[in-house]
Amino acid sequence: MDVWQQLTFLLGGVPLTLSISVLSFLIGIAIGLPLAFVRAYEKEVAFLVSAYEKVFRGVPEIVLMLLFYFGLGPIFPFPFSNAFFVAAFVLGLRSGANQSQIYRGAIRGVGDEQMIAGVSIGLSKWRAIWHIMVPQVFNYSTAGLGSEYALLIKDSAYVYVIGLAELMTKAIQLKSIPPGDFVTPFVLSAVLYIALTFPIAFSLDRWGNKRKKKIGL
Amino acid sequence: MFEFLLNPIYQGWIVQGLLLTVEITLFGVLLGLILGTLLAIGDIYGGKLAKGAIAVYVEIFRGSPLFVQLFLAVYTVPAILNVQIDHYFLAFLVFGLNSAGYQKGYMKGAMETILGDQMQAGLSTGMSKVQTLRHVILPQALRIVIPSWTNEFCSLTKSTATLAYVGLFDLVSAGMAIKGITYQILPVWIVIGAIYLVWITGFSKIMDMIYERKKIPGIELVMQS
Repeated sequence: MDVWQQLTFLLGGVPLTLSISVLSFLIGIAIGLPLAFVRAYEKEVAFLVSAYEKVFRGVPEIVLMLLFYFGLGPIFPFPFSNAFFVAAFVLGLRSGANQSQIYRGAIRGVGDEQMIAGVSIGLSKWRAIWHIMVPQVFNYSTAGLGSEYALLIKDSAYVYVIGLAELMTKAIQLKSIPPGDFVTPFVLSAVLYIALTFPIAFSLDRWGNKRKKKIGL
Repeated sequence: MFEFLLNPIYQGWIVQGLLLTVEITLFGVLLGLILGTLLAIGDIYGGKLAKGAIAVYVEIFRGSPLFVQLFLAVYTVPAILNVQIDHYFLAFLVFGLNSAGYQKGYMKGAMETILGDQMQAGLSTGMSKVQTLRHVILPQALRIVIPSWTNEFCSLTKSTATLAYVGLFDLVSAGMAIKGITYQILPVWIVIGAIYLVWITGFSKIMDMIYERKKIPGIELVMQS
């Protein structure tokens, strides 16, 4: 195969790479945001959040995917025998732990005064969080979220171990086609990954800075 | 379910796998620290060309997955150079070079938090730039950077799980070998996951204790990533 054929073959894996990383990013928001607020405002159960973060900081994503897909898959075919679900699920849980840390820093950045102001005009604690804190937290976390999304794109390469045909898997497939090209597939896939990660982290950070300036932070 | 843990052969495999995981991580983080510090100094004091080259280096190693970099090292590099290179050595090199890309950022941040005034103070006492870096800036930067260093250690340890896929015998390979004989798939991965968890959590605890002892009161690195 010439370089162009190889490139087209690899590009066929990009949609899967993107959909895994977008889905796990969204799962990460859904988990990370509540965790960060629980950790900040419900001191009695904060230790649970910190245990959750420890587990997902301390177990490799590859092992988790093998555990859920090959270990739990045969026992609970729904949903763990679906490789795409397992991939997004594992990366999403891990991203939730990371994002919780990011939002935690952002909550500190927004400051406690706003919470106190919200509660003093009669909002309940969780309404104040939802209407006052959450919208502002995102302004403070753009840089962190940008690198978190880039991390998810890179980590989606791990789904090779459960056999989803995304970018990494396609590169390894190309390598195995006789006579065996050991150079082009991996160089091309590295370039593609860089092309996927670079603009997102960069533009999200720029957008965040612009927005902060606009609202006078 | 967990009887395989009592078998001395399997215990041996687990220990052997864990040793490789630990070795590659520790050497990788160390090489990353040395290289990353040099890159950080280059990025702060270097000319335009050096800065550009460092930016490209960082973008390459931070922009692509370590998994791909490992395959590039193990398959592509020997194919281009047309020589056989020890896979262990290549893996160690990849982990070090990759970690340097991240640690450059941490070191640069740490150095910049103390650089301004102290550099001038150092120069005004008659020390040269290099002397000030060596005796004033770096000793403090290395203390400030400990928490980021701990994070880097955690993520690098997790990345060693990729070693199994280029034919090296790490903890995941040990799990695969045991699972291949006992068919206890779920228990094996629970055990392997738990070993990683204990090792990473334990090591981070130790690093946190070291940081508490060594930290410079009043100066903390504000990390945004």
